[in-house]
Amino acid sequence: MQIVTLSLKEQNIVPIEADTITPDNFAGKSTDEIEAILVYYGNSQASIGELFNVSVDGSDSVENTKIIFDGNVPRVKRIGQGMSAGEIEINGNVDMHCGSNMTGGKITINGNADSWVGCEMKGGEIVVNGNGGYYVGGGYRGEACGMAGGKITINGNVRDFLGEHLCGGEIIVNGDAGLLPGISNSGGTIIIEGNTTMVASEMKAGTVVVKGNVAEMMPAFREEGTEEFHGVTFRKFTGDVNVGGKGVLLVK
Amino acid sequence: MSELLIKNAVVCDPLNNINCEKMDLSVKDGKIVESVSSAAKLIDAGGKLTMAGGFDGHTHCAGKINVGRFMSPHDMRMNPIPGLSGKVAPTATTRAQVGYNTPNTFAIGYRYSKLGYTTITEAAIPILAARHTHEEFESIPILDKLGLTLFSSNWQVMEYIRDNEPDKLAAYVAWALRSSRGYGIKIVNPGGGEAWGWAKNVSGLDDPVPNFDVTPAQILLALAEANEKLNLPHSIHIHCNNLGKPGNYETTIASMKLLENVKTSRDRQAVHVTHVQFNAYAGTGWRDFETGAPMVADYINGANHLTFDLGMAMFGPAMTMTADGPLEYANSRLLHAKWSNQDVELEEASGVVPVTYSSKNFVNAVQWAIGQELALLVKDPWKVMFTTDSPNGGTFVNYPEAYTLLMSAKKRAEIIEGLPELAIGRMALPGIDRELDLYELAIMTRAIQSKMYGMATKGNLGVGADADIAIYDINPDSIDTSVEHEAVKKAFSGTAYTIKSGEIIVKDGEIAATPEGKTYWVNATVPKATEDAMMVNLVQKFKRYYSVNMANYMVEDAYLPHPVEIKTEAI
Repeated sequence: MQIVTLSLKEQNIVPIEADTITPDNFAGKSTDEIEAILVYYGNSQASIGELFNVSVDGSDSVENTKIIFDGNVPRVKRIGQGMSAGEIEINGNVDMHCGSNMTGGKITINGNADSWVGCEMKGGEIVVNGNGGYYVGGGYRGEACGMAGGKITINGNVRDFLGEHLCGGEIIVNGDAGLLPGISNSGGTIIIEGNTTMVASEMKAGTVVVKGNVAEMMPAFREEGTEEFHGVTFRKFTGDVNVGGKGVLLVK
Repeated sequence: MSELLIKNAVVCDPLNNINCEKMDLSVKDGKIVESVSSAAKLIDAGGKLTMAGGFDGHTHCAGKINVGRFMSPHDMRMNPIPGLSGKVAPTATTRAQVGYNTPNTFAIGYRYSKLGYTTITEAAIPILAARHTHEEFESIPILDKLGLTLFSSNWQVMEYIRDNEPDKLAAYVAWALRSSRGYGIKIVNPGGGEAWGWAKNVSGLDDPVPNFDVTPAQILLALAEANEKLNLPHSIHIHCNNLGKPGNYETTIASMKLLENVKTSRDRQAVHVTHVQFNAYAGTGWRDFETGAPMVADYINGANHLTFDLGMAMFGPAMTMTADGPLEYANSRLLHAKWSNQDVELEEASGVVPVTYSSKNFVNAVQWAIGQELALLVKDPWKVMFTTDSPNGGTFVNYPEAYTLLMSAKKRAEIIEGLPELAIGRMALPGIDRELDLYELAIMTRAIQSKMYGMATKGNLGVGADADIAIYDINPDSIDTSVEHEAVKKAFSGTAYTIKSGEIIVKDGEIAATPEGKTYWVNATVPKATEDAMMVNLVQKFKRYYSVNMANYMVEDAYLPHPVEIKTEAI
């Protein structure tokens, strides 16, 4: 097991783009080697050692590498972007794009995650123990697919456009979701334990379950009786008929 | 007084009948000359393949490509060909680059230069949008540019054809070329754009255009006649009716036949038929879709009034963009893809739809084969211009890959092996063993363009030609292009040197300098009385229908910082 612990030397105001901070990049490297890895700091580059205190315990393969962020990193973006294995634990709040495009491994955020967490991820797992921002598991502009595999669990609330363009995988929100969750999705599963509104607009395929209240239903779904999900009976809707969708929407 | 001496170049220059022979090239003040002084800067080409700068005779590089850019932000991040796509940070010489199918203007200039291209032709300028096109031209560095002006569904054109006024038609064409600073006449799905305004299309050459009572055949013939009357350097450049539909090869051959008797005013083709791959489909629907290339090639082999280009389809993501509005609507419905549609007032329709050509899809696999079949089945390379209709069949950075397909039967066989069986039965490609050599490739990528566009200073390395030179890092004497396709692809993906107007702009695959390119346009003059009579009608058009004033519509000189005006006079 290799454990790499990072903590900010001082809270940064100019954002750090840390897409190089992944177990894939850190595995088997010494403190010096990790400190020399470059990140974008504003419009120029800086080494990790200039910005973070780094301590490395052990040396191991990607699968057995764990990165721990000690404290808040609210202005550090793209942590774990594209990672394929290993683990990242963030003990605080984190900035945007955390875990986007990841294909494997696990990220645990013991705080709030800003927007675009787990965007276009293909595999692996993200657990956010605080709140999520906008576009959790969504797709970047123009892309036909957002998240396509893996699992995201948000134990707090999320804001708008949860799982936008979702094509696969699973998203569980244990709190409330903002406007238009599951917009334009074409696969995958979204489970919202709390309340939301305007759910699953332009859905082509996939499943969305809302266990709380839906403030406003989109008027483009066909009601088709009831269906049981995890032992509870829900009203079943299919649509969005505007796009010839065959998605399933279960609401109370 | 800049002088350059290139020693030990193995030159393939088909227009001067030089078939990959070792020689020296002298350059002075941006032109090829007989000899230079001893003070000339020396480049030792060391036996490397040397050709005139490449000339893309049909590409979409300014104008509609911008619609592609804003509807496909994900294209910015695509990077399937590292070095020639994706995001590249700025350097001391270059600006930032992004994109793949719809790269930013700077990337277009740099990447074409790396492939050894120095001149490109924007294939479609709507007159109403010409100012924008020239603004984009201005931001494409290095390359020389020319553009073809659209006349396919133009009210003024169709009215003059209906009223049988060929002189006024020619006067209008001359005025429109001047107003758009265009180089030649482009006709896209004649009449189809106007029909699309009524949610219809024209079904073939004899289907009248709604409300105008003229047929696509009449539009083609009348514009061909106007083209020759104005003595334009290029012929009419046509995108046939029924593009993209199974069974359309019959329309394509009929369109070619229709123009057999056009009397040309210059020593060149009477018609150029573009991206024929999309127009060489047989079958009655997508189920029995198959190649129509053998039939089209058979006709072309017996005809000598035309040239055509391939419009090869390459596997991977692409972006279709055309003035053929109804086609793009059909594409978007068929592919469930995003769609942009535009109506250009009294002139054209247009649309943009992103597509992906998949080697697992039977239709796409046959399309991939058809482009190559056309290149290989037409015997005379002087009728064939190489294109992918970039980015419709695949963006231009795929050209090196496309060359190797045409030059190596072995490579084709390897790919065909992995295609769906259904597709292999519907194509003619597996039975073709012809392989192009470097000389034939030089014809298709630079020499024919020089002839068909009437640009004697381009596409060749004779004395007096522009010193636009590409030196590729392969040795024609020792390389076996049919086997060593990886080496060929690598060499064509980044030149050892690209020289533009005597200046080294690419060295070892990296941009060394970024001068500004020139814009060529044709100024045709007609007798004053005819022009005045035409203007009476045109002024009425602007008063009644256009949303802009005539003075705000015409491209002003300020839009062309480096113009090259080619004057012609009506016959």
